[in-house]
Amino acid sequence: MAKPHAGTPEPDPAIRVRALESILTEKGLIDPKALDALVETFETKIGPRNGAKVVAKAWVDAEYKKRLLADATAAIKELGFSGLQGEDMVVVENTPDVHNLIVCTLCSCYPWPTLGLPPVWYKAAPFRARAVSEPRSVMKEFGTELPETTEVRVWDTTAELRYLVLPERPPGTEKMTEEQLAALVTRDSMIGVTKAKAP
Amino acid sequence: MLLTPEIVPGLVATGASARVAHHVAPRFRVGDRVRVRNHNPDTHCRLPGYLRGKLGTVEQDYGVFAFPDTHAHNLGEKPQHVYSVRFTARELWGPSSPDRDTLRVDVWDDYMDLD
Amino acid sequence: MNGIHDLGGMHGLGPINPEQNEPVFHEDWEKRAFGLFAATFVFTGYTVDEFRHYIEKIPPAHYLEGSYYEHWLYSFEGALIKYGHITRDELDARIAQLQSGGH
Repeated sequence: MAKPHAGTPEPDPAIRVRALESILTEKGLIDPKALDALVETFETKIGPRNGAKVVAKAWVDAEYKKRLLADATAAIKELGFSGLQGEDMVVVENTPDVHNLIVCTLCSCYPWPTLGLPPVWYKAAPFRARAVSEPRSVMKEFGTELPETTEVRVWDTTAELRYLVLPERPPGTEKMTEEQLAALVTRDSMIGVTKAKAP
Repeated sequence: MLLTPEIVPGLVATGASARVAHHVAPRFRVGDRVRVRNHNPDTHCRLPGYLRGKLGTVEQDYGVFAFPDTHAHNLGEKPQHVYSVRFTARELWGPSSPDRDTLRVDVWDDYMDLD
Repeated sequence: MNGIHDLGGMHGLGPINPEQNEPVFHEDWEKRAFGLFAATFVFTGYTVDEFRHYIEKIPPAHYLEGSYYEHWLYSFEGALIKYGHITRDELDARIAQLQSGGH
């Protein structure tokens, strides 16, 4: 069978994957149980709750926040999060003057250890095309509007640094515990399409 | 190497950084005004087209990393500095962009020149 | 390369339409595709850069219309064939077998 070219339909992806997995397993090149372990890790163990803990700690602990902004990889590792697609982290802080938004226009680079795997919209063409050229219109689709006096700063993840937004701490949260604060930190606020939730 | 379930947690927790432990002199310093090269290889490259020929400012030097243009084609790591470079939205997209908005893009030594 | 993947600034791609509360994986096959990344990475020795470049070379229409993990399949197939771990014929034969209801 000739290699499919543009215009011919590809075989069903489920069949393509089964073909790959079955051949590689028969050849002893992969262990399907390792695939199971990877899936379980990213379905149940690694997700945006990790990043929310980092943010909440930075909100309550000024010294931690300083360390986080100076060397994000080390500070995030203090909480036990590290590794694949987060080996070189940068945390960027939202303030009343600056709102940060993260994108990877060229593919789908995303900080896995703190946010888990990216949502479909982050990896799809519309967000990747528009986040760099019309970020405010993108954020409006998420219900976020910012005054023109705020600088919108878009980070295009072209290299192996991985970016995490430190959202502003919402007002009226002064008496909340770190755990309660973490519950306000949404994945979308750590990408930068929204602010953190109000209490 | 065969990936087994026992290896998975360690692999995930360690990952594989693209940093290269080489001393390489940086071509740029923080504050430099830089012009992105008109670089159009038909091979792998991590320079987005919208940056070509544009003027920016070096904001941060992240250190030394493998160079994707060569690394993707088994032509070696060619380690060099990666910088966070600031571009104004107006520089990239024209006068209808908000005046204050900016972009920060990670750019390798080989993708730009001093302006 | 100045390929279809270089999307920054492109017009006409429509709204973002974020899905609320989406699952980590939408289909079972996506889970297998995800797992194959690390599993093939460790024995082929190919780099993330090379992995990305196979995706960049996907025919543009397929790139835009295919779902995300389908992109990964092009990369796995390309690298595994290039590095001699499987052949195109082997893969096509297995695909044909599965399509006709084999297992």
